[in-house]
Amino acid sequence: MLSFVIRRLLAGVALVFVIATITYVLMHSSTGNVARNILGENATAEQVAAKTTELGLDQPLLTQYFSWLGNALTGNFGISWYNSESVTAALVGRMPITLSMVISAIIVIALISVVLGVTAAVKGGWLDRVIQVVSVVGFALPNFWVALMLVLTFSLSLRLLPATGYVPPSESILGWAATLLLPVTSLVLGGVASAAQQIRGATIDVLRQDYIRTLHARGLSPQSVVLKHALRNAAGPALTVLSLQFIALLGGAVVIERVFAIPGIGTLTVNAALGGDVPLLMGIVVVMAILVVLVNLVIDIANGWVNPKVRVQ
Amino acid sequence: MRSKRIVATAAALALALGLSACGGSTSTGGSATAGKDGVLSAGTLTLAALADNNSFDRAALEIGHKTQYWMPVFDTLLVLDPQSVPQPGLATKWSYNADNTVLSLTLREGVKFTDGAPFDGKAVAANLDYLKNGGGQNAYMAKSVKTVDVVDATHANLVLSAPDPGLLGYLGVVGGAMASPASLTAADKATNPVGSGPYVLDKAKTVAGSQFVYERNADYWDLKSFPYEKLIIKPMTDVTARINALKSGQVNGAVIDSKSAAEAKSSGLQVETTQVDWTGLFLADREGKVVPALGDVRVRQAINYLFDSPALLKGISLGQGEVTNQVFGKSSQAYVPALDNYYSHDEAKAKKLMADAGYADGFTVTMPDSPGFATVNPILEQTLLKLNIKTEWVKVAPDALGGQILAGKFPMFVFNLGSQSAWQDIQKVALPTSPWNTAKVNSAELNALIEKAQFATGSEQDTAMQAVNTWLVKNAWFAPFYRMSSPYATDAKTKVVLQSQNAAPWIRSYSPAP
Repeated sequence: MLSFVIRRLLAGVALVFVIATITYVLMHSSTGNVARNILGENATAEQVAAKTTELGLDQPLLTQYFSWLGNALTGNFGISWYNSESVTAALVGRMPITLSMVISAIIVIALISVVLGVTAAVKGGWLDRVIQVVSVVGFALPNFWVALMLVLTFSLSLRLLPATGYVPPSESILGWAATLLLPVTSLVLGGVASAAQQIRGATIDVLRQDYIRTLHARGLSPQSVVLKHALRNAAGPALTVLSLQFIALLGGAVVIERVFAIPGIGTLTVNAALGGDVPLLMGIVVVMAILVVLVNLVIDIANGWVNPKVRVQ
Repeated sequence: MRSKRIVATAAALALALGLSACGGSTSTGGSATAGKDGVLSAGTLTLAALADNNSFDRAALEIGHKTQYWMPVFDTLLVLDPQSVPQPGLATKWSYNADNTVLSLTLREGVKFTDGAPFDGKAVAANLDYLKNGGGQNAYMAKSVKTVDVVDATHANLVLSAPDPGLLGYLGVVGGAMASPASLTAADKATNPVGSGPYVLDKAKTVAGSQFVYERNADYWDLKSFPYEKLIIKPMTDVTARINALKSGQVNGAVIDSKSAAEAKSSGLQVETTQVDWTGLFLADREGKVVPALGDVRVRQAINYLFDSPALLKGISLGQGEVTNQVFGKSSQAYVPALDNYYSHDEAKAKKLMADAGYADGFTVTMPDSPGFATVNPILEQTLLKLNIKTEWVKVAPDALGGQILAGKFPMFVFNLGSQSAWQDIQKVALPTSPWNTAKVNSAELNALIEKAQFATGSEQDTAMQAVNTWLVKNAWFAPFYRMSSPYATDAKTKVVLQSQNAAPWIRSYSPAP
């Protein structure tokens, strides 16, 4: 198991390096106007040139990249070009907000989609068809539209929940839950629709296996067969789809954070990308890439735990 | 079983109510009560701002939407009233010498910065010097100040390198913002503003990107002008989020857009408008170096006559604005009412002018295609084709648009530009060195008019500024379509008076609704 984890980690490090390099090269092409954007329209050409030099943008691409990489390897992502805030401080301040939203969403997605998927697979018939139709509809609805409808209903009409903003849990746990309830629900709907279908399919496949028939023949109760045996074997595809969901939710959070004015990593990413704020965007990309690698690693380990064959492979 | 359901329902309701009670801060902005010395106390004013704050560094302060972040903490030497007329601020009196090269200021006595340092002539000198050399976007506001002669603690003379008709206006915004001299170069200058303003930033409760919290400065010299005990500003980049926050009572005021104005009104919100930006074509290559046709004034005039501005206003901005052919706003010293309709839509006249100029078959022009103008560009292309002017679009990313335009890459382009004071606008668009004179066209005739305006005083200066404006319109340096209305919405508890040359109101302009 240890060598399995080490191999995965090394592959992850290589992946983060490749992603960082490609992003840096792509970002470099949009830094031509950064100095002008920072200094404003009244800056003279000399001032713009001086700023360009100060930011190191007059250096060759490779020099800039290795300078950034050297600092990044020591944990120093530099400071934002626009507001002089430390990139690390910005990430530390914003990342927990997005993660609290995404992790809450993935937990809810996992719970609901397992119940729906397994129920549809086991019961079949009209219940299966209803769940499938609901899943397809849920998948078809854009999350920003769902978010707006939720705000309209629960914030503006019923006045039960806040329409915008974020309250840190350190300030108020209930306030935190209240500010996250609608954003998380917006993210959950599409996720449940997708994951429930996958879990349904995986469960049906498992339920058709010979050993399931044998278990039934040995007189095990249907609940025991499903919960103790079928679910464990169907968990592999479910975990994979949930890991993909997690990554998709990180992207979906960009839109949801705007609709709910949540100061998370999504808003920061959009602003950094639009402004060509290379240090900030690189910091975000690296941290996100590490996060994705870690999530995949955790899922791989979980898969190995539920299915020993994976460890051998 | 039934009792379980009842308990479950009650628990769900209690949770929902509990959550709603704890669900973020709800704005108060309530009615004011009279307090000590007649100072009104009106609880908390919560505003949603369109943009986040970058920095409190004195040299990096910005105008526009970001004024709301720094105005609570930094007083200005002068205060611009809603019509942008300078009024006393930290400077109680001001006067120019005979040739407008020395501005004498009488400074308010007894004012202290929140670190205990006194506000005096030395503080004025330190602030203007820091702004001028600090490399910020608004360093130009102190550019004309050669030196500051500190006469004594309450008198300072700004010695100018040349008359600067925009200076008084600058002293009412970033140019006149006063920070404690010791804080100007402090390590935490970007996050810890030290001013003498009506509020103090509560650093403990402020979270960049989420909310900026300000508490009243109890020692402030003009508490009566600021009725709110507490101020919270929340950056919200999305207009839908701002409107939802307003409707749900989370904020008392927010900038909205013309497309949302009707919905806001129907929801019971108060909507006021001000006109800051104008939109239209910049006929930049006026000397015809890239597109020879644009060097002919008749071609530029033809383009002005071609566009049906009322239809554009209605179609693009839902009628939220006013048609104009001039780049100066209504509150500007250079504004001439008759120039708003100088080029009334007349396609036949436009075609005749093109024919007279020898361009009946039209020409081809390259323009930038950026997502911000996605709705306008197809209309421009179709309309220009009526004069056989073909458009070649160059894709430009939003963050690169300003830079590429200012670098003179395009002979003609559409843009939205803000209008401030007459001199500020002339500096922006009309001089050979102006950033928005992107082809750096140098007209001796125009320069003479500008010079005359610079050195004139009183009503003569008004006339001279208007002459500059008239020249720009007649020579068709631009083809403005309309001035856009910038709507600002408040809830029923809050009253606001909008600023003529800034989309976001000053903090002093808010008060509890009667």
